[in-house]
Amino acid sequence: MSNEALGPPPTTGPLDNPLRTGLRLGRTPEPCTMVIFGASGDLTSRKLVPALYNLARERRLPAGFSVLGFARRAWDDNAFREVLHAAVTANSRSGPAEPDLWASFAEGIFYHRASFDEPAGYTTLGARLAAIDSERDTGGNRVFYLATPPEAYAEIVAQLGAHGLNRSSNGGWTRIIIEKPFGHDLESARALNRQVLAVFDEQQVYRIDHYLGKETVQNLLVFRFANGIFEPVWNRRYVDHVQLTVAESIGVEDRGGYYDRAGALRDMIQNHLTQLLTLTAMEPPVAYDPDAVRDEKVKVLRAIRPISPAEALTATVRGQYGPGSISGHPVGGYRAERAVASTSQTETYVALRLFIENWRWAGVPFYLRSGKALPRRVSEIAVQFRSAPTMLFADTPVNAIEPNVLAIKIQPDEGISLTFGSKVPGQAQIRPVSMDFRYGTSFGVASPEAYERLLLDCMLGDGTLFTRRDEVEASWALLTPILQGWAAAEPLPFPNYEAGTWGPAAADAFMARDGRAWRRL
Amino acid sequence: MHVTRVDISAIERELQQLWQERASEAARTGQAVTRALTLNLVARATEPQLAERISAMAHELMASHPNRAILAICRPAADAPQIDAWVQANCLLTAPGVPQVCGEQITIDAHGAATAQVASLILALLVPDLPVVLWLPGATPFNEPLLPRLIGVLDRLIVDSRELDEPARGLVRMAAFERDPGLPAGSARRVALSDLGWAALTPWRELTAQFFDTRPLLPHLRRIDRVAIDYVPAPGPPNPAAGLLVAGWLASCLGWTPLEDAVRVVGDTLQLQLRRPALGDDPNTSRPVMISITPVTGTPDAPAGLAALRLQALDGVTADFRVARADTAGHVFTTAVIAGHPPLHRLARCAEPALIDLLAAELRLLSRDHTFSAALHMAARFASQLV
Ligand SMILES: NC(=O)c1ccc[n+]([C@@H]2O[C@H](COP(=O)([O-])OP(=O)(O)OC[C@H]3O[C@@H](n4cnc5c(N)ncnc54)[C@H](OP(=O)(O)O)[C@@H]3O)[C@@H](O)[C@H]2O)c1
Repeated sequence: MSNEALGPPPTTGPLDNPLRTGLRLGRTPEPCTMVIFGASGDLTSRKLVPALYNLARERRLPAGFSVLGFARRAWDDNAFREVLHAAVTANSRSGPAEPDLWASFAEGIFYHRASFDEPAGYTTLGARLAAIDSERDTGGNRVFYLATPPEAYAEIVAQLGAHGLNRSSNGGWTRIIIEKPFGHDLESARALNRQVLAVFDEQQVYRIDHYLGKETVQNLLVFRFANGIFEPVWNRRYVDHVQLTVAESIGVEDRGGYYDRAGALRDMIQNHLTQLLTLTAMEPPVAYDPDAVRDEKVKVLRAIRPISPAEALTATVRGQYGPGSISGHPVGGYRAERAVASTSQTETYVALRLFIENWRWAGVPFYLRSGKALPRRVSEIAVQFRSAPTMLFADTPVNAIEPNVLAIKIQPDEGISLTFGSKVPGQAQIRPVSMDFRYGTSFGVASPEAYERLLLDCMLGDGTLFTRRDEVEASWALLTPILQGWAAAEPLPFPNYEAGTWGPAAADAFMARDGRAWRRL
Repeated sequence: MHVTRVDISAIERELQQLWQERASEAARTGQAVTRALTLNLVARATEPQLAERISAMAHELMASHPNRAILAICRPAADAPQIDAWVQANCLLTAPGVPQVCGEQITIDAHGAATAQVASLILALLVPDLPVVLWLPGATPFNEPLLPRLIGVLDRLIVDSRELDEPARGLVRMAAFERDPGLPAGSARRVALSDLGWAALTPWRELTAQFFDTRPLLPHLRRIDRVAIDYVPAPGPPNPAAGLLVAGWLASCLGWTPLEDAVRVVGDTLQLQLRRPALGDDPNTSRPVMISITPVTGTPDAPAGLAALRLQALDGVTADFRVARADTAGHVFTTAVIAGHPPLHRLARCAEPALIDLLAAELRLLSRDHTFSAALHMAARFASQLV
């Protein structure tokens, strides 16, 4: 034995691994245990565990990484592993689980049977985690993932606090990921924030919105700020208006009970569309770090002209689908869905117009729309530029030149397309030409799933792509008066659009009033 | 064209015609064709089969690196001087309704004395303002007559240390080129060097680096005093280039200095003697480090390449980190055994990367890869003792 003293390793500060220099992939997270509350649920099987498996498959997770599932189902470790194996095989983007890789990954999967409201279950959870730490060298690092019904969030958080599981005793870190919905209005979001922050520090809290994990959404920032071409025209001088669309072609499937209490504004606008809006409109952050980026996003939300309850009816359009057909298949109406009231006033379609009152965007309308049972599944951000002065081409056979549109497509294919007028060779005619750039075909690699990126970021302690406390509250502050205005208004003659059409007629009239039209998607 | 002189303007005309045909063909079907070029990819082949493989790769690269490929087939040994050139569009198959993206390829086939004209043809055919990458597959890239003639316009030279027929001498040549590619004195240009053999080591470097991404294990990295590198040689005389590069990488990243007469040859094994720096301020904690590079026989169908990489700290608290090919083809097993910690192991995917992926990875680099330079210079120091 020599006299070399290793000394205690520093517990904070950047990790300076000399073998990392020059490697393109970022560092691997430290080994940790991810405790999934709601481990027998749909999200765990469909998204979380396939994402974790693919991260492991891509060598992004360290040896020792472990999963501890928490639910009431009478399973043991092996039964849980089998369920997850089937889930990965059914849902992974890389196809069926590869036997040897799965076996190696599954060694770190465990199940803890307990109920959320049962204190003893958390005592044993603590013991289980300590055992995993010593068997798999996870160093006390843990992520708690709340993949549970939202009603359970507060209870779990309180129990974790009461059992001292909100901090690691042995120098590791503890983080918590909270799924959507985060509250159902401003009051409840604030209350949940208070409950969570009574137990965890904001730095430990990762409010997830999987839209932020999508490659295109992240590329939006790169595209805007790393590209000299677009930033100079990204303002009121050149932009006529912006349309944000998140259209789903499915109905509510088996989420009727939840959805009937939520509606499209809560389910889509408050989170996904608000994220797209802030990323499209925000000012360049001073740095690409969690707080600088989120500061700018919050500034956008604060600059939005509030819509009062009294204005709610004129500033928005609501719709609910009736029977119709989608892609050639007949579908029933919303009110006939399981767990939906037969007189439901819940909106399955919403469109609204927002103004951001700052130097960049004053006077530029942002139109947001989202709905279920629409003809296609498509999400995009379309920036429509002002039309060029037409005199130049006044003698061409087209009377109006199509304006230039920059469309950032998020679903189903991620990519960017720019449409502009181009002269048809040999003819005095101008017709739109579109330049497409798709991630799928351009890079020849399957993009990682949104959850992969976000789970990895959380394990690395990077909160940039998660929603901060003030952000979630600012977004609810904006939308809650609309919900109040609707609640106070006369019931609408729902259903008012046929499943498989682009929403109610009122939505087109809403745009026509401004002399504009929705993009045909 | 089947002549002893090739007419540049004729090639240009042919290219134009090619695009017109493509565009009108597409217009008939209501499609659009986009010509996209991000680089000039110049490659030299010595025989038609290699040329075909290169051509297929240039085509495949369109997906990630739309290019004008200039492929020179040089057969100086043929007696009759003769030179041919032809053009083709390399288009990506895309989904219906999506514009087709095409690049273009010019193939030059030169025999005998006509090979002397190839460099000037290439110079005339480069797309201006786009990076120029020269790829020289084969055993003796640095003897290639095209190299000195194109050096003035090159941004990157790509070679493959796995193919070198005299690996030790080859590594020394590579390092010399990396330091001074032979540009005219005072030139402000830089030529980056890429080695596909080095690129193939990336997953191994990644897996090794990962052990030390965790705070409790990182300190052991400075304590490593024993490294064992095993490789499965390709048929023919063993080529330890990959092993030397891994050794060079570790030594340059960790500040190890080779001792005088650092290299010993023991049977097929190379043993390298180095010294690692002291830990903290105590000079007494500097220690010798030994690296061994050994050819091993793999299973009959095992591809050539690294088979295992093991880093150990034997002096003091023992720590043992190992990445080794697993029984499942295309996978490796990683293990970390450290006194005071539970042993950690996992199976990870680590397939021998395809040539096209290595090429694409190198084309993604915009400038010099400093980690590679440092590793190469260190590897060349070892190699120079073997020549
Ligand atoms: N599914 C999705 O695609 C999706 C997408 C985005 C967001 N989300 C959000 O993710 C969360 C989970 O959604 P989900 O669809 O996975 O829900 P789910 O299928 O209903 O799963 C709920 C899970 O919670 C467990 N659970 C419920 N009450 C419990 C209790 N008292 N004690 C212990 N375990 C209990 C259930 O397990 P046992 O019955 O075995 O106890 C089950 O594993 C929700 O907040 C949802 O809004 C889901």
